[in-house]
Amino acid sequence: MSDSEGYDSDDYPSIRGSDSEDEESGSSGNEDVLNTSNNDHGNDDESDSSELHEGVEESDSSEDEVVPRNTVGDVPLEWYRDEKHIGYDITGKKIKKKEKEDKLQSFLASADDSKNWRKIYDEYNDEDVELTKEDIKSISRLLEGKAPHRDFDPYAPYVDWFKWDDSKHPLSNAPEPKRRFIPSKSESKLVNKIKLAIRKGLIKPKKSKEEEEEEESVYPLWGDDSNSTGKNDHLSYIPAPKPKLPGHEESFNPSLEYIPTQEEINSYQLMYEEDRPKFIPKRFTSMRSIPAYENAVKECFERCLDLYLCPRVRKKRLNIDPESLKPKLPNRNDLKPYPVSCYLEYRGHEDAVTSISVEASGQWIASGSLDGTVRIWEVETGRCLKHWKIGEAVKYVSWNPNPEHSILAVSAGQDVLLLNTGCGNEEVQKSTKELLSVEMPMPDDSGKTASSVSWLQDDKLEGIRLRHSKTVTAVEWHRKGDYFSTVMPAGESRAIFIHKLSKKFTQTLSFKLQGPAVTSVFHPTRSFFFISTKKIIRVYDLVKEGKLVKKLETGLREISSIAVHPSGDHIIVGSGEGKLCWFDMDLSSKPYKTLKLHQKDINNVSFHRSYPLFATCSDDCTAYVFHGMVYSDLNQNPLIVPLEILRGHSSTNGRGVMDCKFHPRQPWLFTAGADSVVRLYCH
Amino acid sequence: MDTDGNSGDASRVVHVRFITKLDRPFKVPNSSISVASNFTRFGLSSVVNNLIQTENPDWEVEPFDFLINGELVRMSLENFLLAKGISAETILEIEYIRAVVPRKEEEPSLHDDWVSAVDGSSPRFFLTGCYDGLGRVWKAAGVCTHILEGHSEPVSSVSIINPEGADSVTVATASKDRTLRLWKFNAEDTRRNPLKISAFKILRGHRASVQSVAAQTSGNMICSGSWDCTINLWQTNEPVSEGDTVSTKKRKTIGQAKESQSEGEAVSSLVGHTQCVSSVKWPERETIYSASWDHSIRRWNAETGKDSLNIFCGKALNCLDIGGESSALVAAGGSDPILKIWDPRKPGTSAPVYQFSSHTSWVTACKWHEKSWFHLISASHDGKVMLWDLRTAWPLFVIDAHKDKALCADWWRGETVLSGGADSKLCMTSGASVL
Repeated sequence: MSDSEGYDSDDYPSIRGSDSEDEESGSSGNEDVLNTSNNDHGNDDESDSSELHEGVEESDSSEDEVVPRNTVGDVPLEWYRDEKHIGYDITGKKIKKKEKEDKLQSFLASADDSKNWRKIYDEYNDEDVELTKEDIKSISRLLEGKAPHRDFDPYAPYVDWFKWDDSKHPLSNAPEPKRRFIPSKSESKLVNKIKLAIRKGLIKPKKSKEEEEEEESVYPLWGDDSNSTGKNDHLSYIPAPKPKLPGHEESFNPSLEYIPTQEEINSYQLMYEEDRPKFIPKRFTSMRSIPAYENAVKECFERCLDLYLCPRVRKKRLNIDPESLKPKLPNRNDLKPYPVSCYLEYRGHEDAVTSISVEASGQWIASGSLDGTVRIWEVETGRCLKHWKIGEAVKYVSWNPNPEHSILAVSAGQDVLLLNTGCGNEEVQKSTKELLSVEMPMPDDSGKTASSVSWLQDDKLEGIRLRHSKTVTAVEWHRKGDYFSTVMPAGESRAIFIHKLSKKFTQTLSFKLQGPAVTSVFHPTRSFFFISTKKIIRVYDLVKEGKLVKKLETGLREISSIAVHPSGDHIIVGSGEGKLCWFDMDLSSKPYKTLKLHQKDINNVSFHRSYPLFATCSDDCTAYVFHGMVYSDLNQNPLIVPLEILRGHSSTNGRGVMDCKFHPRQPWLFTAGADSVVRLYCH
Repeated sequence: MDTDGNSGDASRVVHVRFITKLDRPFKVPNSSISVASNFTRFGLSSVVNNLIQTENPDWEVEPFDFLINGELVRMSLENFLLAKGISAETILEIEYIRAVVPRKEEEPSLHDDWVSAVDGSSPRFFLTGCYDGLGRVWKAAGVCTHILEGHSEPVSSVSIINPEGADSVTVATASKDRTLRLWKFNAEDTRRNPLKISAFKILRGHRASVQSVAAQTSGNMICSGSWDCTINLWQTNEPVSEGDTVSTKKRKTIGQAKESQSEGEAVSSLVGHTQCVSSVKWPERETIYSASWDHSIRRWNAETGKDSLNIFCGKALNCLDIGGESSALVAAGGSDPILKIWDPRKPGTSAPVYQFSSHTSWVTACKWHEKSWFHLISASHDGKVMLWDLRTAWPLFVIDAHKDKALCADWWRGETVLSGGADSKLCMTSGASVL
């Protein structure tokens, strides 16, 4: 402190010296100040400067003029508060304080003096300074941020001292250096360094991160809150549904178009509670007249009830297009031909037609009816060629598949009749007649086999009558047309018979069936034999003396019919509850597919011999046609496509379509109805 | 030259010129007139009748049919022009022809059973086959002259082999008893009671029902299609001494080895069809057409036995006929209600050129008119017989005389339509002259 003071005191004398010189030159104090400032530039042009400060003279404050008197330095003047002097002058003498004027006196003096507002008390020198008008002007200019003097032009045109019109030489005649034309070596070194560092992973490019951050930092301000809650870790936080923002109609004084008319309000009363608008806009002239919300208590109560009784629960809603759940099936137009429309009807029966059978070539069809007749029809014209009166309700007809025989097997009551249809040429007729003759002396009727079946010649019908002990429901031929099986459901363990036509011999195979047998079918290629009871289908091998090969669990309650695919590996089963089962024999003993189709009992199912078609017929008076493609590739599952629902039969006594059979060569379906009509559906 | 007063209020008018290929009394002045655009065939017909009447006062009104660009007008002129995209600005040339209208439905000829076949290729008589196993020869409606007795099962098809035979005519019948029989009789024979005759030759060889028989144009051979999937060719002009009551003046042919007296064997067999051959036709000396239930129509060369054409149509076929434009179009109907016509001359003829689908059940018979290029008839299980014109998609007229299925149909004398059906009647509708 003392040092700086000392320095200051050392420094001041030099200035003071110059000042004192100026003082000695005998000019006014104001001029001196200017001189000191001008001395910084140089003292050469004193005369010029002296001319100058006549204009500037008054703008300068008088502060500097006074400073030389008090050389006390930069010390707080409080230190001298109680002294009689305020400092020291240059010679070290005390500068005495002026006598303090009485405050009242000074106030009066100031009130008298109009220039008093311009006076400033200089504490340092203990004197009053009066500012001139110029001083105040320059102060105000400084306050405004302008140059202190009015004459100073801040926007004077720039004078370029280094260029002039007739300059002959440039300031520098040096040629452009080479470095300005070649890429900088040091810079490329630096870039390489950074590149290597980035490659090594020492420097991570920050830009992308910043960008990411920028992206993240942008968020939908007005977006749905519920989405953002997904990021929250809270398990149970469920955001409240967003309320609708209030609109103009919710104002206390909405414009007229928002106010509903009386008619509209009346019409709200007719609407359902849920559809009614929750808020009806009303007008109030002022805020004051708005009544209290009438539903406040009620809604409060309901809200509490909601919170208490119906806590919000997160609902898991599956967003699945129902179309995508459907299995992808080929277009049925690509699966043509299949039976579509009925063109021919075979009329003549007087009661329900129970069974039909198509001849192997497809020229004739046989039908059996409850009226006790069997008829043979010509397929193409619908003409009845022949009919037999059996006398009993016919349960089942079956045409011998061998084209060398024209034999029709008919089951009626307890008898199975083998009839000569008379269709076919002379050789066929001859062999058929030979087959259908039984030597009357039968080798003891019920002797060695103890069979309950007796072979009798029926002269009236020109055929053979096989008399069973109980009612026979079904007759099925083996593919070669020599063997045929009959089903006698009441026969319990001896329910199935296999007959050999050429030897007129009946074999009873005792199969252990639980429950009455329903129907039996021969395998189309192998020596298997299918017997179905109400629930289970059993497969026996006839070569190995009736060994049980397989047991197919259908899961059905009431099997009514079975049909074997011509390849022999697939079986369809129709049931009384309107269900259809498709079995893949190689796959498993469980159904490959179970289809719930009909409203009522399925009466019969049938495969087409050559086209990939199968059909079901039911008591609901419809027949369904399916595409059932079986692939030789074992890995490929059979393709089942529903194609067509065939209608046309009418219901009689609660029965609908009793039987359906495909034409052996055309994609046509024959259906036998309880309305005593046989129909042919063509493609 | 506005002929009709009522066309004044019709806003649109079409300028037409009537032309015709008909002869003198049918001609009208060759000047254009304007008619209302909402005129139908009836309106146009009355205009033409009026025009003829102005020249010929004692003219009797007759219906006409109108052709624009080779198509029959079956709606109002305006709709027709719109549908065909023809400009109504220019003068429209309308050709008129006499409308084909059946004049008279004659008394049906009653049979004992379903009438399964009819042939009217001879102008002197026509021949029917019946499900009672008899063939019948008729002079006119209800006038039966001969009964052909011998088949044990229904006759499925009949064919007149030499319709121009001077005194004795040879006919063939095919039956479901797997045989064909040839018969000879004197067509000029007129008696009150029909004469029963028996076949002079029995052709055996088919293993199943014979469905169809057709004779060669020369009459020397016949072919037959059967349920055993084959087409057999047979010789006809083989003399037989026994079993022919009318054969007193029969010709003796030379160069044929005599076989068993009344039996004949197939000359050759055309194998290729995989199902029942339902219909055969032998329109030219070398060419046989056949339609089958295996969904195909084949053309065979009778000499070599090869099939040169195979049209696959997707449906079982019941009937086939060759005719139309230069006797080259194939018409066939089958197990659907659509009568289809193919043109085998066009390359890639799998698609039919015409389809007529006004029937509602199987088409059982179709027959081209002998002379006309445009007209054919068809019979169907729905009991209707329809006359078709290739120039329009609608039938010219429908004969609804049968109460049950119509099974066969044919032309007789170029203007009478014969049709037999499951109601055991043979209906005749005459006066439908198409030329």
